[in-house]
Amino acid sequence: MVSKKKIKVLTKRVSVFYGDKQAIKDVNLEIYENQVTSLIGPSGCGKSTFLRCINRMNDTIDICRITGKVLIDNDDIYKATLDPVLLRARVGMVFQKPNPFPKSIFDNVAYGPQIHGLTNSKEELEDLVVNSLQKAGLFNEVKDRMNESGTSLSGGQQQRLCIARAIAVSPEIILMDEPCSALDPIATAVIEELIDELMQNYTIVIVTHSMQQAARVSQQTAYFHMGNLIEFGETSKIFQNPKNKQTQDYITGRIG
Amino acid sequence: MGLGSFCVLIILIATFITWYGNNKALRVNHALGKDLKLPSLPKYYSFYAILWLIIPSIILILTWYIAKPLILDVLVLSFISEDTIKNFSGDPSMLVDRVKSINIERPFPGTDTNLIEAAVYLKKTLERVQTFTFLSILSLGCFLSFIAIKKINPAFRARQIVEKYNVAILLVCSVVAIVTTIGIVFSLIFEALRFFDKIPLFDFLFGLSWSPQMAIREDQVASQGSFGAIPIFAGTLLITIIAMTVAIPVGLTSAIFLSQYSSPMTRSIIKPLLEILAGVPTVVYGFFAAITVGPFLKGLGDVFSLNIASESALAAGSVMGIMIIPFISSLSDDVISAVPQSLKDGSYAMGATKSETVKKVILPAALPGIVGAILLAISRAVGETMIVVMAAGIAANLTANPLEAVTTVTVQIVTLLIGDQEFDSAKTLAAFALGITLFVVTLMLNLFALRIVHKYREKYE
Amino acid sequence: MNKNTRIIAESLKKRNRSESTFRLMGLLGIISAISFLVIILTSIINEGKKAFVSTQIKLDIFFDSKILDPSNSGKITEIENANYQTLIKASLLNFFPDVKTRNDQRDLLSMISSSEQENLMRTLTNDISLMNTKKEFWLKSSSKYDVINKNPEMIDFAEEDRLISNQQLFWFNELKKDNRVNFGFNKIFFTAADSTEPEQAGIWGSVMGSFFTLFVTLLLSFPIAVAAGVFLEELAPKNRFTHFIEVNINNLAAVPSIIFGLLGLAIFLNVMHLPRSAPLVGGMVLALMTLPTIIIATRASLKAVPPSIREAAIGMGATKMQTVTHHVLPLSMPGISTGTIIGMSQALGESAPLLMIGMVAFIVDVPESFLDSSTVLPVQIYLWKSTAARGFVELTAAGVLVLLTFLILMNSFAIIIRKKFEKKW
Ligand SMILES: Nc1ncnc2c1ncn2[C@@H]1O[C@H](COP(=O)(O)OP(=O)(O)OP(=O)(O)O)[C@@H](O)[C@H]1O
Ligand SMILES: [Mg+2]
Repeated sequence: MVSKKKIKVLTKRVSVFYGDKQAIKDVNLEIYENQVTSLIGPSGCGKSTFLRCINRMNDTIDICRITGKVLIDNDDIYKATLDPVLLRARVGMVFQKPNPFPKSIFDNVAYGPQIHGLTNSKEELEDLVVNSLQKAGLFNEVKDRMNESGTSLSGGQQQRLCIARAIAVSPEIILMDEPCSALDPIATAVIEELIDELMQNYTIVIVTHSMQQAARVSQQTAYFHMGNLIEFGETSKIFQNPKNKQTQDYITGRIG
Repeated sequence: MGLGSFCVLIILIATFITWYGNNKALRVNHALGKDLKLPSLPKYYSFYAILWLIIPSIILILTWYIAKPLILDVLVLSFISEDTIKNFSGDPSMLVDRVKSINIERPFPGTDTNLIEAAVYLKKTLERVQTFTFLSILSLGCFLSFIAIKKINPAFRARQIVEKYNVAILLVCSVVAIVTTIGIVFSLIFEALRFFDKIPLFDFLFGLSWSPQMAIREDQVASQGSFGAIPIFAGTLLITIIAMTVAIPVGLTSAIFLSQYSSPMTRSIIKPLLEILAGVPTVVYGFFAAITVGPFLKGLGDVFSLNIASESALAAGSVMGIMIIPFISSLSDDVISAVPQSLKDGSYAMGATKSETVKKVILPAALPGIVGAILLAISRAVGETMIVVMAAGIAANLTANPLEAVTTVTVQIVTLLIGDQEFDSAKTLAAFALGITLFVVTLMLNLFALRIVHKYREKYE
Repeated sequence: MNKNTRIIAESLKKRNRSESTFRLMGLLGIISAISFLVIILTSIINEGKKAFVSTQIKLDIFFDSKILDPSNSGKITEIENANYQTLIKASLLNFFPDVKTRNDQRDLLSMISSSEQENLMRTLTNDISLMNTKKEFWLKSSSKYDVINKNPEMIDFAEEDRLISNQQLFWFNELKKDNRVNFGFNKIFFTAADSTEPEQAGIWGSVMGSFFTLFVTLLLSFPIAVAAGVFLEELAPKNRFTHFIEVNINNLAAVPSIIFGLLGLAIFLNVMHLPRSAPLVGGMVLALMTLPTIIIATRASLKAVPPSIREAAIGMGATKMQTVTHHVLPLSMPGISTGTIIGMSQALGESAPLLMIGMVAFIVDVPESFLDSSTVLPVQIYLWKSTAARGFVELTAAGVLVLLTFLILMNSFAIIIRKKFEKKW
């Protein structure tokens, strides 16, 4: 079983600096295809920073520098010939706070396909939007109000709208940075179910502060501490018998 | 006694009262012995006394200056003999004005001796009355503050009262803003109504011909002049449109570049430069338009055998546009920077390029704010005076051709009011009719724009 | 999946192109804004720097007692009232002996500014021993020659467009050949008030006018605005009335300046009968205009003082009023001063409302009080620009330079204050 897992993302000695401050230190990590990998660790340990390396979102921060290699399908995503635009179409992202554009629900989902020119006709676009909303489990709730503003939805709906927006461009990987931290338990449960379904078609990396959530949704877990990757392995193993003392302390709630 | 010496006197008296009040309070404190003390510091007691000196004085002085013209009228009319009044062709109040305007040392040759005598009498009496009034005011103030000092005793809490008065004074200062607005509205409405007595509102707002200068020669057949303001409104609109055509694209693109593309370093150089552009006084722009841009465009027109007036709307409008650029760019910069980072992140994470993010996410999100900024800029352009006074035409010209000279509301206000004016003529009053139109239009633009911008700020706070 | 990647990869070139076009547009916007600034400044500096010097002509003046004191009385009053023009004329004719007709002589004499007669008189009365001696003088030329001398391209103009005739140009060139023409510092420009003759007009009158006007403005607007700002920010209850005041202030900040002029005309002049053209009235009008700026700056810097300071003071038993006057206000003074200076520099550049209250008069005396008729810097610029004589163009530009210098000084001062006292709480 284990040997069959295909590595989707591989990081080699990745370090990230904000100015002089090092936020990630020599991290080597494998992320497997069609699995959910969760990143856990105390606040400020660099989970978001690491996540943002995978779609080069750190490029948008002026003072941020990165060394080492990030490979997707064995291809260096930081090589000069690769346009981040192309990369980000392959690696979608969902943020901590739902951030729908102040546009209609339809336009929110249609945003990606439109800028990338993925569809050739209006019908095709409509199909794609409906399809994405269905995959995100939101279609039934919004099918009568596609022209209303995306910001008029509830928090949980907004987050699913953002997921629909991300999957509309059919990415291979979806990064989620604490996607449920702004949501109530019911909305959280809905999203967690959704993640389970999405796993079939996408590789998912999720940052979370909730041990239960990590345990529920992910197959692999990585524990970060102060920029270091302390421990990485199958979720069940990490939670049942962590090898590292720090990890043990964290998941039992002694630090963090 | 003039206002100057009055002020000097009152300051001297106030200094004395401070000293005296302080002393008195200290003495009372001393008399009360060790355990008992006045409830407030000595300075509050003297401050309290000074309030009694200053506040009544200010009120009375203002009353005096308001009443002065009325007293003048009565004085003059009582002095001049009945016959002179009867012989005078106009209104008696104009006679008073004439007397007031006489320079006693060097009267205009041929002035009625009666009137000169009246002027001399007026000056002397007025001086005497004024001195008397000022001295009475001062004595009253001294008396009141003296009573206040008398009141110093342990049961009297001066600090509370002084602070209450202080708050009241601060309140009055903030009310100055309201008073100014009311002053503007009243002065405009009052004169404008007198204008609309002579010229119907409808003719003013919708008339197609504007030639107020004819009203100067009263003996002429068409002594009324014509006051149809449409050509002026059209000229103002034309110049505003030209200004906006220059300012909006340049201002907006600069704002986008500054907020999205430039490094902090370039930003820190460019922003002050734009601030300089904003700080250049409008006369300077006017001079530039009239001396450099106007002749340049005219010459350019000659090359292409186009007839461009040297005071063309294009010259004034484009320079006005330059003036507005920093206004639009700094307001839009603020507005664009207020768009939350999370929205931009959302767009970049979808794989959008910077320009796509700007065009499809940032600008639509910032649109209300930008519209507000543009409305404020329009209001600025409509009310701008010096550039058009120096570089636009004076004659009303109903045209949409930017190469011709047109005139604007502000130019007309200035031309109607500069130089000698008879205050009752339709010509002078027309300036106020234009003024109130300008005020109402800019007020609406401002209120609307400020509201939009305010709402926008709240949305992203 | 691969299909999408391919589509995107193919469209990338186009998207990147439109990206750089867009960036370029932004850059163009900035560049044009900056180049407008550069063009305006260089064109004004180019024109204006000429007015700081003026053309001088060297003449040998013989203080002839036969002309100056024909009765040989030796009385100063006699000498003071003598005709010094004749001296200049004699000296010129000495140089150009062939000029015979009265018309030609008059044309020749018009080369020297009429203001020099008085200067000669002063020199002589200060040192009477000069009588019947010959002395070399650099005399100021009249404006027309000055313009030609400063703009050599005008020499090639047709005679009727050139300000001076061919004959006059010939004389002028003769003097030049004899090294009798040069440029000297134009002192009059910095000491005199307006004049009908460009070479005798100066900026000082309007500088003083501006000074008196701004003094009144500062005196009125600063205390009122700070009081209003303190009240609204620190003491006022948040109710409808204070909200209305705020709306009023924000709106006043955007009312066209000329409207304030109309207010001044209708209320200060026509109702209150204050004198026309007086800095007092100008200052009052500008004060009303400047109020909103200072109020807004005051509130902003009060807001920047952290609440902890207020709490500390209140905790010590100070009243609200004492807290504000003893603690909060001093801390926000740098911000308030900066706002005030900026407001003042706006007021210094403002001219439209002053046109309405008669500060556009032609005034030849430097004003000495708040009630003297006067004009201000920007209005003087406007007046000179509206004057037809060619010599005023350079004066206008020089006036602009003086105005801009004052503005730069004021703003740098504001920046220094801001930098020096900038506090991060
Ligand atoms: N834009 C930035 N500029 C400078 N430093 C930053 C920036 N973003 C993050 N950091 C620093 O990098 C470190 C890691 O931050 P990061 O946001 O990745 O932590 P995190 O694990 O996601 O924390 P949390 O669980 O609170 O979201 C922190 O010390 C943070 O201060
Ligand atoms: Mg994080």
